[in-house]
Amino acid sequence: MSSKDKAPQQQTVDLSTLSVDNLAAVKKQLDDELEHLTTSFAKLRQAQNKFKECITTVKTGLRPERITDKTILVPLTSSLYVPGTLSDTENVLVDVGTGYYVEKSVADAEKFYAGKVKALTENLGELEKIVAQKSQNVQVVENSKSFTRVVIDGRMGEGVLT
Amino acid sequence: MAGKVLQDLTDQFQALSKDMSSIVEARQKLDSQLQENKSVQKEFASLADDTKIYKLIGPVLVKQDKSEAVMNVDKRLEFINSEIVRIEKQISDIQGKQERKKMEIIQVQTQLRQDAQAQVGA
Repeated sequence: MSSKDKAPQQQTVDLSTLSVDNLAAVKKQLDDELEHLTTSFAKLRQAQNKFKECITTVKTGLRPERITDKTILVPLTSSLYVPGTLSDTENVLVDVGTGYYVEKSVADAEKFYAGKVKALTENLGELEKIVAQKSQNVQVVENSKSFTRVVIDGRMGEGVLT
Repeated sequence: MAGKVLQDLTDQFQALSKDMSSIVEARQKLDSQLQENKSVQKEFASLADDTKIYKLIGPVLVKQDKSEAVMNVDKRLEFINSEIVRIEKQISDIQGKQERKKMEIIQVQTQLRQDAQAQVGA
């Protein structure tokens, strides 16, 4: 922004030509967008953690030496359990989305989840950039908002003085 | 008189805005469905033909042939894409309508202002 070194008012491309009302509207829109992006960011984080949890479960929970031949309790309802044993610790069913489950070997499942986590990390990185950009925009609008106010206040002050 | 017209016009404009936001929401939903189905399609493409695939129907997992599952997802993608085209058209329709209403409103507003000035002058 080149407004700093030039004479006040109407020098910058966009913002300084806007009225206070318009500025407020722009600010609100930016705030909404920013909020939306931040919630998306949090949701992505959550999803990523879920996948990471899956990796740990697959890695540690299914290690044959620990779990075969040992009884586990299978929940039928939240308060009713029946004993059981795992008959297959080599393969797992993985939810791949839209209601489809695919049978995978433990190693493949791990790979699948790792891939998901990686994709999410990339998305998160991109989103982070966008969020940074947006908050910068908000800052700019904010500045020019208080700037406009200063100009108005200044004029009023002049009026009183003369 | 003109005030009434203006009121009607703004009401219509607001109705259009409401339509717009619900349609945009539908568009976003379609987009997320598209993404999900695409990722499933990609996953299916990397699977061996004899992989066991199950489909969740209610609380039950039902076994399904890979070819059938792939076909199903392909069909869904096709449907979603055509839906997106349809909704995009609706969006541009409403945008056009909004634009026209805006012009009408501005016209009526200037008319009102001129009338007011004429009255003051008289």
